Amino acid sequence: MTHRPYTPWLFLLPGLAISLLFVIFPFLNMIVLSFTDASALGGGRFTGVDNFVRMAQDPKFWVAARNSLLYMVGVVPPLVLLPLLIAMLAQKVVPGIGIFRTAFFTPVIASAVVVGLIWTWLLDSRGLVNNVVEALGGTRIGFLTDSTLLLISSMVVTIWRGLGYYMVIYLAALANVPKDLHEAAMVDGAGPIRRFWSVTVPSLRPTMVLVAALSAVNGFRVFSEIYLLSGGSGGPGGASTTMVLLIQSVGRGLTGEVGYASALSFVLFVILLGLLLVTLKLNRREDQL
Amino acid sequence: MKRRTFLAGLAAVPVAGCGLSGTSSTTTAGNGQVTGEITFQTWSLKPKYTDYVNGVIDAFQKQHAGTTVKWVDQPADGYLAKVMADASAGSLPDVINVPPDLSFPLAEAGQLVNLDESLKDAEPEYLENAWQAFEIPGKGGCYGFPWYLNTGPIFYNKALFQQAGLDPDKPPTNFKELEEQALKLAQKKIAMLGQTPSIADFGLYGVKLFENDKFAFNEPKGVEFVESYKRMYDAGALIPEALTQNYTGAGAKFMAQQTALNPGSAYDLGKFKTDAPSLYANIGIAKPITNTGSANMFLHGVSVPKSSKNQATALAFGRFVTNAENQVKFAKLASIFPSTSKGGDDPYFTTEDGSDEARVRVAAAKQLKTAVNYTPVQFSDQMREALLQQLADVMLGKKSAKQALDDAVNECNRLLK
Repeated sequence: MTHRPYTPWLFLLPGLAISLLFVIFPFLNMIVLSFTDASALGGGRFTGVDNFVRMAQDPKFWVAARNSLLYMVGVVPPLVLLPLLIAMLAQKVVPGIGIFRTAFFTPVIASAVVVGLIWTWLLDSRGLVNNVVEALGGTRIGFLTDSTLLLISSMVVTIWRGLGYYMVIYLAALANVPKDLHEAAMVDGAGPIRRFWSVTVPSLRPTMVLVAALSAVNGFRVFSEIYLLSGGSGGPGGASTTMVLLIQSVGRGLTGEVGYASALSFVLFVILLGLLLVTLKLNRREDQL
Repeated sequence: MKRRTFLAGLAAVPVAGCGLSGTSSTTTAGNGQVTGEITFQTWSLKPKYTDYVNGVIDAFQKQHAGTTVKWVDQPADGYLAKVMADASAGSLPDVINVPPDLSFPLAEAGQLVNLDESLKDAEPEYLENAWQAFEIPGKGGCYGFPWYLNTGPIFYNKALFQQAGLDPDKPPTNFKELEEQALKLAQKKIAMLGQTPSIADFGLYGVKLFENDKFAFNEPKGVEFVESYKRMYDAGALIPEALTQNYTGAGAKFMAQQTALNPGSAYDLGKFKTDAPSLYANIGIAKPITNTGSANMFLHGVSVPKSSKNQATALAFGRFVTNAENQVKFAKLASIFPSTSKGGDDPYFTTEDGSDEARVRVAAAKQLKTAVNYTPVQFSDQMREALLQQLADVMLGKKSAKQALDDAVNECNRLLK
């Protein structure tokens, strides 16, 4: 059989072309635009680092960066631990377990808009949750109208939506944990909690790092939850705006400031890249220990 | 984009230069022959108005032998993105349906045909205020044929008014009465309003919005207006969501009977009837609240991009779609109003038949003669958001009304550049 060196490239070509057109080119274009004052209708002059200077002086940027950071800090620990616990329950082979697994996975495939509407109806000042609170003698809580509570409510939705997705990742990883390790630990007298910390967690550590990295990136890039729960406003006075919401707000429409929105996107990219590199480094260091 | 959605209409004064015979293939519009193919893009008119639009297209093609109009309807969601992508690529359709605030950035970027130059004789066919809505303030030029208009009454919930001991037949007529009545409702824990004021509300209050090419709504009257809202908010006359929601959100709260008053249109009345019958049973309809004597007006138009390779046909079609006959037909289908100078004379807009719909329609048609599009065309989505956020800060006590309006005006003027 003759080996033609270009054959693999022919297989790669469609994927590469799509990546080039829809990922690499827009990415490079974003970097170029971040140094201009381009508008949505094109054009734009080279303005050096003006957009970055403006960003440093823009209170909205700092609010958005702080909120995105808080969001990430708020969602990562629950999204690393809760799906693991659920996966451990879901891996048991008991009657009806399929329903349990499906129930947790449903939010993952549900439309973000539908999820947003459901939670808006639940958490609205006249929503179901507040009606229950009032019926129990409490006062209505501004889940969607207080900037801090709005962020927390959005985090809850993100966690709720993410549980099923990360559960599936953990289920796959749990299937690979050698059973003999558990059996050996049992023979040594280890109980379920001891086995969790000494067998399950160390075996799953690479998966946990992966889940932490994915949920951190998704948390920092949050958009749909906060957008839908705040009606697109970023909360009262824009105090719950996150980075992606700010980028959308600055760059949208025919009057959008595409140059500044690109600069914000560039900074977001650098932050996320930094986050991933730190995670990678930590993982490698632990591997070496 | 936050914009009231009301559906469209057109009309028929077969246009000078377009010919009336229906057989000519050598008519002209602007500079050129009316012939060949053009594309016409509308904003969410399918499927409800498919037959109507096809009828207009057929009539045009019949009148101008050798022309073909390809109709493309875009859904409301993503309409702006579609226009933006086409405008960036220089490939806008030959005739596009745009409201003034969308035509403005396109015109500023030099992408639209100036009708004052290309079709000087068209202006008298339209209502003066509608024609002006498509002009660039201070620079002149008109960049769109006015198409369908809307204005409307205020709707109020008579049952909620009664609960608060207010006369259900005496809703507020100006902003002073609005505050007085809102504070009374608030005493009974009933919210009057579902949103903080929009820029158009500032105009209705009598605030100077724009002066010497700059926004100026931070004038003392603007401060006074915001302080009035602050008093209402503190008393509980605005629902908590008012700080973040737009017109659509406020409308939903009114439909759910969580607020007592909301501006609307004939279109909304139909919606109450089908979607909120218990509200409809208690609905009060009154003239819009204004300190200026003029109501607010919303409108759509059709523009012709300079990039069109068949401008003559595009201009002729734009004028045909928006002529009095076509607009009146459309208005009868869609709870909207014609923007032509003669369209409003049709008995449909001047005669009541005893129904609520006819009452609203006739009152609105009368209002339109003096109505003003109070939203400046320069007022972009980013500016709307800046104003909303600053007003929220006032309501929450984070800023004084003066400081917030100064900040909003500064941001709007920065975005204007």
